[in-house]
Amino acid sequence: MILTGSKINDEVKRGNITIKPFSTEQVNPNSYNYRLGPVLKVFERFDGYKSFFEEIEMPREGYILEAKKMYLATTYEVIGSQKYAMSLIGRSSLGRYGLFLQCSANLGHTSSTHKWTLEMVATIPIKLYPGMIIGQVSFWKNYGLFKKYCGRYGFLNHPQESLTPGDQKNYDINRKQNY
Amino acid sequence: MILTGNKIIEEVKNGKIEINPFIENRVTTNSYDLSLGETIIRYKAEIIDPKVETPYVEIKIPNDGLVLKQGEFVLGHSNERIGSDFYVPLIHGKSGTARMGLFVHVTADLIDIGSHGVTTFQLYATLPVRLYPGILIAQVSFWVPFGNIILYKGKYQNSKGPRPSMTYKDFKYDVFKR
Repeated sequence: MILTGSKINDEVKRGNITIKPFSTEQVNPNSYNYRLGPVLKVFERFDGYKSFFEEIEMPREGYILEAKKMYLATTYEVIGSQKYAMSLIGRSSLGRYGLFLQCSANLGHTSSTHKWTLEMVATIPIKLYPGMIIGQVSFWKNYGLFKKYCGRYGFLNHPQESLTPGDQKNYDINRKQNY
Repeated sequence: MILTGNKIIEEVKNGKIEINPFIENRVTTNSYDLSLGETIIRYKAEIIDPKVETPYVEIKIPNDGLVLKQGEFVLGHSNERIGSDFYVPLIHGKSGTARMGLFVHVTADLIDIGSHGVTTFQLYATLPVRLYPGILIAQVSFWVPFGNIILYKGKYQNSKGPRPSMTYKDFKYDVFKR
C-alpha cells in the first residue's frame, strides 16, 4: 500500500519518516516533492574499468546539462524511513522535458536514510537550478519482517558514483559480518 | 496492494475508477492497456529553461504512422481519460513497446490520487520506431492507498491532449537565498 500525503505528514511528525528539511507545501496527494542539491558530478571519462567524474558546485544562475550525458547529483533533503520502503522518481514536470532522474533503480530500502544520489540523463539539453523542486518520493508499506539495510550507499550524503565491481568481494565479506 | 484486472472492471462499474472509453478486453491480469492518441508535441527550444515557458509544435500522427528518430523525445497522450479518487494509478510501458526500445515515460510513473484526464506520455526512442495513432502503447495499474485521501488539485488536472511541462509556475523561491 502506498502512503497518502496526509499519512506522510503524520509519519514525519511521529518520526517514522525522515525528511529534512520538511515543508508541508511540498506534500502531494501520494508523494513528497524533493529539491535538487547544489553539488553535481559530471562524467569525465571511462578507463575501461570505471568511470571518473568531476565535481562541481552548481551556480545559482543555473547549469546546463548536455543531452545524452550522465550526471550525478543528490536530493537537497535527507530522506529515509525506518518503517516504509520508498520509490524515488522525478516529477512529471521534469519528465515532460525528457529528463531521466533515476536510471531504472527507483527503489529505496527501508532504513536507509540520507541524501539520495540522483542519476540524471537529459534527452534534450536542460538548465537546472540548485534547490529547484525536481522529483518526488513515495512511501510504501512493508509486508513481512525486514532486515536492516547494510548496503554501501544508504548512508551517503554526497553524489556517489558506482562502486566498482572490484569492490564487490570486500563488500560481500563486510555484509556477512554486518548480518 | 495492486488491483487485479477483475477488481479494475468492478471499480470502473462502481465509479471508483475512471477509464473512458473503457473496453473490457483491454483489461489485463493486473492493468488496463492504454492506446496512443493522435497528437504529439515536440519542443522547439534548443535548451530547455524550466523557469520560462518552452515553445513547442503540435503534430498530428498520420494514419500511416510517424517515425521517431533514434534519440528523439516527444510528448504523446492516451486516448483514454483516466483517474481515480480511491486508488493510485501507475503508468507502465507495454512490454511490446519496451522491446522496440521506446520509453513511455522517462521518470514519473506515479499519478496523484484525484487527478483525472488523458495521460501525457514522455516518449523517448532509443531505436527508430514508427508510431501509429491508436496502438496499444502503455498500461495503467491501480494501487491501494494507506491514510486519509486528499485529492489532487494541480496544474495538469483535466488534460485533454499532451500537456507540456509547466515548471515555470514552480519557481516561487530560491532555497539558497534564505
